[in-house]
Amino acid sequence: MNRTVAPSYSQAQDLKLVLPEKIMLNHGVALYWLKDVPDASVKLEISWDAGSKYQDKHLVASFTSKMLLSGSENLSAKAISEEIDFYGGYAQQEMDKDHAGISLYGLAENIEAIFEVFEKAFALVSFPDSELQKELDISLNKFRVESQKVKTLCRRAFVKGLYGENTKYGQVASEEDFKKLQSADLLNYFNDKYKFAPVIFLTGNVPDQFIDKLRLWTNHFKPIEQPHFSQDFSQTKGRVEIPKEGALQSAIRIGRLMFKKDHPDYYKFQLLNTILGGYFGSRLMTNIREEKGYTYGIGSGMAVLQDVGYFFVSTEVGSSVKEDAIKEVFHEFDRLKNELISADELVKVKNYMLGEFLRQADGPLHMMEIFKNIYFNRLPPTYYSDFIKAIHSATAEELMTLANKYLVRDAMVEVTAG
Amino acid sequence: MIAFEQFTLDNGLKVIFHQDKTTPMAVVNVIYDVGARDENENKTGFAHLFEHLMFGGSKNIPNFDAPLQLAGGECNAFTNNDITNYYDQLPVQNIETAFWLESDRMLELAFTPKSLEVQRNVVIEEFKQRYLNQPYGDVWLELRPLIYKEHPYKWATIGKEISHIENATMEDVKSFFYKHYAPPNATLVVGGNLELDRVKELAEKWFGSIPSREKYDRSLPVEPEQKERREKTIERDVPANAIYIAFRMAERTDNEFYTGDLVSDILGRGKSSRFYEKLITEKKMFSQVASYVTGGWEDGLIIVMGHLLEGISMEDAEIAMWEELQDLGKNDLPERELTKVKNKFKTSKVFSEQPLLNRVMNIALFDRIQMLDELNDELSKYDAVTSTSIKEFSSKTFVHENSSTLKILVKK
Repeated sequence: MNRTVAPSYSQAQDLKLVLPEKIMLNHGVALYWLKDVPDASVKLEISWDAGSKYQDKHLVASFTSKMLLSGSENLSAKAISEEIDFYGGYAQQEMDKDHAGISLYGLAENIEAIFEVFEKAFALVSFPDSELQKELDISLNKFRVESQKVKTLCRRAFVKGLYGENTKYGQVASEEDFKKLQSADLLNYFNDKYKFAPVIFLTGNVPDQFIDKLRLWTNHFKPIEQPHFSQDFSQTKGRVEIPKEGALQSAIRIGRLMFKKDHPDYYKFQLLNTILGGYFGSRLMTNIREEKGYTYGIGSGMAVLQDVGYFFVSTEVGSSVKEDAIKEVFHEFDRLKNELISADELVKVKNYMLGEFLRQADGPLHMMEIFKNIYFNRLPPTYYSDFIKAIHSATAEELMTLANKYLVRDAMVEVTAG
Repeated sequence: MIAFEQFTLDNGLKVIFHQDKTTPMAVVNVIYDVGARDENENKTGFAHLFEHLMFGGSKNIPNFDAPLQLAGGECNAFTNNDITNYYDQLPVQNIETAFWLESDRMLELAFTPKSLEVQRNVVIEEFKQRYLNQPYGDVWLELRPLIYKEHPYKWATIGKEISHIENATMEDVKSFFYKHYAPPNATLVVGGNLELDRVKELAEKWFGSIPSREKYDRSLPVEPEQKERREKTIERDVPANAIYIAFRMAERTDNEFYTGDLVSDILGRGKSSRFYEKLITEKKMFSQVASYVTGGWEDGLIIVMGHLLEGISMEDAEIAMWEELQDLGKNDLPERELTKVKNKFKTSKVFSEQPLLNRVMNIALFDRIQMLDELNDELSKYDAVTSTSIKEFSSKTFVHENSSTLKILVKK
């Protein structure tokens, strides 16, 4: 047997998507239900247009969603969580810049009971002062712990620089904001956002009577009004340095605003990004970790929100090699701009990405995430098959053009912390 | 229920197959019976550094990652005090690529000086990133030597200090490989939409010809029973005072593990747990609390920890924590509370067994700890825990003579 020769392999097949069934409940609430689940697990996610971009005061959106189960004078937060726990349930806050809500996890035999507790709590939540004070103590401690990490300092400055400090996406909370938050802020935000129809994602093999229960619950909502919302961004360019005394490592974040997922360059830019820093064998990992040993890890990515997308490189490196590491990041940009990617590397990354699609779609919970991506980004159902086709057809020349178009140093904000 | 079939190759390599017809992905997992506990006290952090070197090329294959990525795969690994585990996830039709790669690095590493030099630096950066440059990052570096005086659990997987990693030599690497990375010290677990015959054929083809080498016989110093209260106070640049108390308990294989695990849930899991209710909500002394068991293979710990609110004295906080611990040993646990933590465990178990990778890894871990035939008994073992055993466990475990307390004070 010759161990130097690799066994034969083939590219991953096309992705077989199992999309959820859409059921219209009352008052315009859409339920997306994936019921083909081989075990007893159930996840119920309820999502509103209530992310942080809609708030007029820092922290309001996140504390409102965090405290959906905080009860009222007549029903304590303690009683609510005890009952959910008793049925083996888990409640998790869902929160980003665009959306907010809650996910409930449980077994099929208990999900109805778990939901009933949520339903009761949701109907009477008043965000009691004592509960708010407790959550503020907990969150402020976490905030302070985070504030000592170079990674966090870097990310916060990056967010401000990327979107512009005065934009909704560019908001970053400070310690003072924790002191200004009041129970009335949360109740107002709740009345403003959570009385409108949410969207529901249900993954689990539940009986039809549970769907009837959800349908009944949706009678309480006002039909959704498409939120009118737009924002303009003003990205900083060039270096932003956040000092941190005594730091052993420096965090680095380099990036720029980009397009959204419906842009014609999106698919192939994702391929370019994977080559640069999107997997373990990427150019950045190979150069900065595996050749030079500057870091435990470095990567690049593309994130897309409702109103804009962005590209970023992120790492933490030994403080003494910070400038060298930044130089090498831009050196890798230049190589992609000036040298054609070899056929070997291109086929490796294409195959890796096709395998990655399969991993991302493996199992019902992953499948629901795939669907949520399509739903929230308003993408066509052919999004994934189009993506796969685009990857198959991409050429080294196209990728070089994209690198020259987007990996432009002058267009980047470069943040370091520590 | 997780079904599996097993066989052993002539060189002593155990192979276990778990069939899953619902997924297009396969997992190939190789677990080696070596962890930080097997290190020389003057060369700690080595098992983990070695794990990094396993990706630096093998006898016949210069690069581990690239061929796997070419076959649409992805890999990773982890080391803890007990074991080292490697796994590859790839489309099932390309599974032979993983057999080829894993078998070659079990056969022999390339032992390139460049790989050692670079990975030493990478691991030193990992040491800084995860343990030194984070608030509370060094808690376990301080806690372990306080709890353990004899057993190698007294150092952390990352190592005692950076100099141990700096000083690692190629001689160390080679002798470690031949001592620990032999077929009888490993278990190969394969999961996916395959048939047993195919797994047998591939295992024999790629792993069958690897020399058996020696089976490593472990004999580590036993940690004597603790007989005195231990405490250490350190000052760090952290935002809040914190307290960690570690109590010795039985190892992972003992039935006491299940009682201890549920006790840690009663104390610290979720917002209806006792610590959360009493220490955060009612007494307003803490902003964060937790409790968990470590499940060490040779000796276990149950840990309780908390971050203190500003203005609360360490003494009062410690007393309040102890009141909760001792209450469990004095008073009967309400039946509903016991049912609650069992129900929560049941839910989390169903979710955790959904991904194929988790099932495969569990099989590997249970095999190496000699509990494979009990893999599917976990639920009934948790169910067998009674309020009496909770009370007995608590009154025996939560005593000062069995405790090691680490206090972290905000540096003025």
